[in-house]
Amino acid sequence: MKTLEELGNYYNTVLMPELIKLEEQRKQVLKKVCLVNGIVLVVFIAILILLFVIKVPIQAIFFGGFIAAAVIVGIYKWLTSAYVKNFKSGVIENIIHFIDDHLNYARDAYVPSSDFMKSKIFSQHPDRHQGDDYVTGLVGKTRIEFSEIHSEYETRDSKGRSTWHTIFKGLFFIGDFNKHFKGVTVVLPDTAERLFGGFGNFLQKMNVSRGQLIKLEDPVFEKEFVVYGDNQVEARYILSTSLMKRIVDFKKKTGKRVFLSFVGSKIYVAIAFAKDLFEPRVFKTLIDFSQVVEYYQDLELVIGLVEDLNLNLRIWTKE
Amino acid sequence: MLWLLVIVVLVVIFFVSLYNTMIGKKNNVNNTFASIDTLLKKRYDLIPNLVSTVQQYMEHERGTLTEITELRAKAISGNVNENQRVGLENKMNKLLGNIMVAVENYPQLKANENFMQLQRSMNEIEEQISAARRAYNATVTDYNNAVEMFPTNAMASVMKLATRNLFEIPEAQRENVDVKKLFNQK
Repeated sequence: MKTLEELGNYYNTVLMPELIKLEEQRKQVLKKVCLVNGIVLVVFIAILILLFVIKVPIQAIFFGGFIAAAVIVGIYKWLTSAYVKNFKSGVIENIIHFIDDHLNYARDAYVPSSDFMKSKIFSQHPDRHQGDDYVTGLVGKTRIEFSEIHSEYETRDSKGRSTWHTIFKGLFFIGDFNKHFKGVTVVLPDTAERLFGGFGNFLQKMNVSRGQLIKLEDPVFEKEFVVYGDNQVEARYILSTSLMKRIVDFKKKTGKRVFLSFVGSKIYVAIAFAKDLFEPRVFKTLIDFSQVVEYYQDLELVIGLVEDLNLNLRIWTKE
Repeated sequence: MLWLLVIVVLVVIFFVSLYNTMIGKKNNVNNTFASIDTLLKKRYDLIPNLVSTVQQYMEHERGTLTEITELRAKAISGNVNENQRVGLENKMNKLLGNIMVAVENYPQLKANENFMQLQRSMNEIEEQISAARRAYNATVTDYNNAVEMFPTNAMASVMKLATRNLFEIPEAQRENVDVKKLFNQK
């Protein structure tokens, strides 16, 4: 891991020229956004007053408001798209290369839903699966890939209105694991046991859809996570005492909900984030070191997984 | 009359389920013990290979190597009971550990491709054995809890089930490695 000082140097030498260019573009984009959306807003208010005068039912006015909001968001996205594109190739891609030169970056790609389902972390099948900021490459000996993911499913009520529910939003990481194994082991945040203690444990045992409950001997780990798998011995082969400790430390470092699974000699890690990651600011200046530090820390968190979980250690039969 | 019958049926169901729980837990213990056993056998298969690769290089470790071979022969001969077996395994663990440490003194051996492969296999097996041991201990704890806790303890005493011992993690593995001692060991 690189120091903040090195990042500072990089910021001043490599990123600064990019940021100055982007800042110029940001100001222009901001002007356009304000102008166009201002006009839309004025027109909308004018229509609204007109509708009031001719006494249209209130539902129609709400509906109009909804359309106006959609138009404003659409215009905003359209006007900022070129700026976002430049920002990602100029700033995010450079920060990734600063962390590790061997990594590749694709702005619009993401971990496909097939891989997302293969992880067996989430049992709900997504109806809408989106994402961006896809990173792949080798970190030491370990092949990794990750991206931002937003996965949702749809429900319809009796009137046919649809609602979207988030299955997962955040960073989704896939890495090569350093041991061979055949089965499925899933490590989930432990909510039942923390809430209900021993009774929660009983509930977990009843959760047959997940496979066998695997009780591990590390009390700190057990408090944070619950483990399901199809083989008691294999789960312990994967979750060695040192890996359990490393997972707990990683969870503490992120402060987020962390889900892991081990399937087909691969490790899958999902870190839940509420915010949209690696997006540029439009309403505030870009030339701000603390903002760059934030992008860096979010990226380093995932790329650092290889080191944090010691995935490069290859003393077993897997080369 | 009917309610009496219902109570009798419920009581029977209760005892049958207690009985089945105990049998299930007992079988789990046997099952996980068997998985340790399989892995230990896998390790025995590796030992002759290891000894033959290593002995051309390690002149000072001849004694240890012969001891390992003897222990292996004793362990697979089949006329040792479970307790003696655990003792043999513990001794074996320690000797193998010593060999792996002593390798540091033989740079030629360390560079030997055959040996490197063997070392990986040994690490693999050790890791699997340790996992199987932990799985065994978890099932034994579960089983012992059932034997000692109410109401399953009543059923256990009727079935003459006694608590089982946990697999002890060998002393040699539990100790922190004293690097200084290792270097003076030559």
